[in-house]
Amino acid sequence: MAKEALPVAAAAVSAPPLKREKPGPLEYMRRWPLQLMVGLTLFFLYLPLITLMAFSFNDSRRNIVWQGFTFKYYEKALNNDSLIEAFVNSLTIAFFCTVISVILGALAAVMLWRFRFPGKTAVEGTIALPIVVPEICLGVAMLVFFARVMPWPQGLPWPLNLGAITIAHISFAFPFVATVVRARLSSFNRELEEAAKDLGASEWRTFWDVLVPHMQPALIAGALLAFTLSLDDFVITFFTSGPDTITFPVKVYSMLRFSVTPEVNAASTILIVVTVVLTAVGLHMQNQKPKESKA
Amino acid sequence: MQQSWSQAKAAFAAVAVPPVLWLLLFFLIPLGVIWAYTFGENVGPVTIDFTGTFANYARALEPLYLGIFWKSLVVAGLTTLLCLIVGFPVALAIAFATPRTKAWLLLLIMLPFWTNLLIRTFALIAVLREQGYVNFALEWLWNNASGFMALVGLQPLGAYEPLTLLYNNTAVVIGLVYVHLPFMVLPLYAALDRMDRSLMEASLDLGAGHLRTIWAVVVPLAAPGIASGVLITFIPALGAYLTPDLLGGTDSQMIANVIERQFKRANDWPFGAALSFLLMYLTFIAIAAQAFVQRKAERRG
Amino acid sequence: MSKAKFLTGASRRSMLQQFGAAAIGISFAGGLSACNRGGGGRTVNFYNWDTYIGPTTLDDFREATGANVNMSLFATNDELFARLRAGNPGYDVIVPSNEFVTRMSQAQMIQELDRSLIPNFDNLAPEFQDAPFDPGRRYSVPYTWLTLGIGYRKSAMPAGFVPDSWRYLFDSPQFTQRIAVLSESADLIRLCAKYKGISLNAIPDATLTEIEQMLIRQKPHIKAFHEDDGQDLLVAGEIDLVLEYCGDMAQVIAEYGDADYGWVIPREGTLINQDCLCIPTGAPNAADAHAFINYLLDAEAGQKIAEEIQYPTPNGAARELMPDSYKNNPVIFPTAEIMAASEYGAFEGDERSRLYEEIFTRISAA
Repeated sequence: MAKEALPVAAAAVSAPPLKREKPGPLEYMRRWPLQLMVGLTLFFLYLPLITLMAFSFNDSRRNIVWQGFTFKYYEKALNNDSLIEAFVNSLTIAFFCTVISVILGALAAVMLWRFRFPGKTAVEGTIALPIVVPEICLGVAMLVFFARVMPWPQGLPWPLNLGAITIAHISFAFPFVATVVRARLSSFNRELEEAAKDLGASEWRTFWDVLVPHMQPALIAGALLAFTLSLDDFVITFFTSGPDTITFPVKVYSMLRFSVTPEVNAASTILIVVTVVLTAVGLHMQNQKPKESKA
Repeated sequence: MQQSWSQAKAAFAAVAVPPVLWLLLFFLIPLGVIWAYTFGENVGPVTIDFTGTFANYARALEPLYLGIFWKSLVVAGLTTLLCLIVGFPVALAIAFATPRTKAWLLLLIMLPFWTNLLIRTFALIAVLREQGYVNFALEWLWNNASGFMALVGLQPLGAYEPLTLLYNNTAVVIGLVYVHLPFMVLPLYAALDRMDRSLMEASLDLGAGHLRTIWAVVVPLAAPGIASGVLITFIPALGAYLTPDLLGGTDSQMIANVIERQFKRANDWPFGAALSFLLMYLTFIAIAAQAFVQRKAERRG
Repeated sequence: MSKAKFLTGASRRSMLQQFGAAAIGISFAGGLSACNRGGGGRTVNFYNWDTYIGPTTLDDFREATGANVNMSLFATNDELFARLRAGNPGYDVIVPSNEFVTRMSQAQMIQELDRSLIPNFDNLAPEFQDAPFDPGRRYSVPYTWLTLGIGYRKSAMPAGFVPDSWRYLFDSPQFTQRIAVLSESADLIRLCAKYKGISLNAIPDATLTEIEQMLIRQKPHIKAFHEDDGQDLLVAGEIDLVLEYCGDMAQVIAEYGDADYGWVIPREGTLINQDCLCIPTGAPNAADAHAFINYLLDAEAGQKIAEEIQYPTPNGAARELMPDSYKNNPVIFPTAEIMAASEYGAFEGDERSRLYEEIFTRISAA
């Protein structure tokens, strides 16, 4: 496996390929079969979303028959302060959940990947458990835990009142991060680490300068997973939320179970547009900055 | 080779204590209560006595529930397979894209999943139903084909009969793939990104085609990523209840639906807990078996 | 149950309205949650079904008493019960249906009401001042009531045909694959008992077996067990017959007209539900909770609520204030004949709900 060392490092620091007339051998994104596959997948993913956006302008309570164009559901969504409050709660929870889950997940992955220790299989299995537990079961477990074992005080100021929900989210999200990072670590070449240590780097510097850059794609993927899981969770949140801590999915769920309201479609459309704009701005700004080479 | 924990105690403690402590406090203790319920008996609407009975497990092992278990395994397996087939090329494309395109592709894949699951599921219903866009498009093609055939003097096709795409098991699988695709794409991307390209280049230089290179070089290198993708797609798919509820027909019930109804409608927490734990025991056995096989292989190697 | 509004009244007034679209920016700063709660001091936490309140009711109550109402929503009785089972997370007023009033009072999850704080109780029509599921109305006051029936597409029926029997849903291939029924095990089994001509309470075991076999026989003709979104399936053209709650169909008819959509309660009679106002045990603000319940029973407040949600109201004084189009609407108020043939579902113990649930699981798995 020693021969991997150099190419890994080379690939990690390599600049983005220059634009060429013909696609290079590994520029899969520029080959039509793959472009077609990606295109079809995106079509599959976005067709429902486009429908959803279109119906947010429909002058009817239902997403079924087109009754005419209106903006009124946007007005309603923007005036619905409880919907907005729920959304702010969701984002706050998702933010803290993502940060803590990525840290815990990365640590767990490094522990399992690097060390031999007694009871390792048990720890490994236990970390996989939150992925396995049916949501409703974990929801009820958290309900009982926060009602009987460790009551979360009521009436705390925002955002402390979201603590119980955030803790519950981290518990099921960080094993997902650990799984993804662990898989990534298996392609790491330990000789790099050895080399760094031989050159006098401390344990901490080796971790930070050698291991973390290697984990980076998995950390990004894990963060995206944790964010998504937290933002979209209904069942576990339902069982840990109280009158002051309604999240977007809990709110939407109770609204949608009756009938699809275009108000919710309008709110989702706004979210999608805001995310795309923010990301575009972010990417643009990143491109303006001089490139730092990590790793 | 892995390091023994006793050789670097400080480093081991630094990485092990936070996640293990968290898991213990905020996961094992809550779950432990539910585990105790599996040996409990309902004695009132909200009271459970811990009697140490095995009746809940005995009931969970009845053929009725085992049959539903089996069916759920098949549906979740099919979903995972389809996610893998769809997700692998997408992950490959993302991993080998330029950094700028990569960021956009990741966003494009994730964006639908930041829209609420229920909203997305209802949107999928609007696309798939008899008067939905898939059927509208097919009807348009059909009518044009029919018109064309009339034009060239053939018997035109009959009136278009809309396809029934919803309220059956196919709809459940489509819905589950739709919902679980990122769970597959992200681990695959994490494994494929910045992988050692020299092996692929060598393979291509030696005259192997792209498909063969991917099969013989990329797939083995990405194997841990594939395994983790399969794990975190299959298991949540097994636990899905909203999708079968909303997209399924009269025979699409999955084990998670049954579990959910035990905790809610039937108000039978001990039995719901027993069904849940049965699911967990099975997974534990699978993980242990995998670890056992792996260790054996390591020893031989 | 769909507690849908179908008069699109004035949009909800809120502090944020003045800010318009800028509200999003403010709310991101996190200040929003503070002004929602910190403001008045006294707050009633109201746990309700969605769109089950008048457009101005909560603001009117604040003007009248100075107490804020913070309304959150639940979707089913089972969820409400499960959420409160391990303890009350801070709700003051909840809205369970009849059976659950019994179950929750037995489990001491709701407290006895202090009738002296609810003088508007006298506004209730006499037949609603007592209830079999809560003798003497010690724990609950009625908020609305509702029936189950069949919504159908007139153009898909034979000329002049009205599906006025449960047969067409449960025991006939006539509308094969054009039927959706509710996936509530107890409701389903109880309505089958009605079809068989017996009471929907205390169904004998032999009849339960018959019902199970009948539904397994009927299953190939049923397109879906819907999750209370059956009215949408009907409008979308997936099905022609649907088992639904009256309000859901009233809402469809209000939006699309009665030219093609019909509603009938089968002649065998049906299941009546009643949604009640209760105060959960451990409510942090029981005093204002009583005041709020009293306010909801006020004649004018009740009128505004009924105008919005269009469910039948038990509030006699409020009903008097309503126009004829509501008072004499057959979709909202069934005929006396139908009412005589219909029953409330009683809470028959948890064992019974579990049995019904297992039967439904068997039917689905068959």
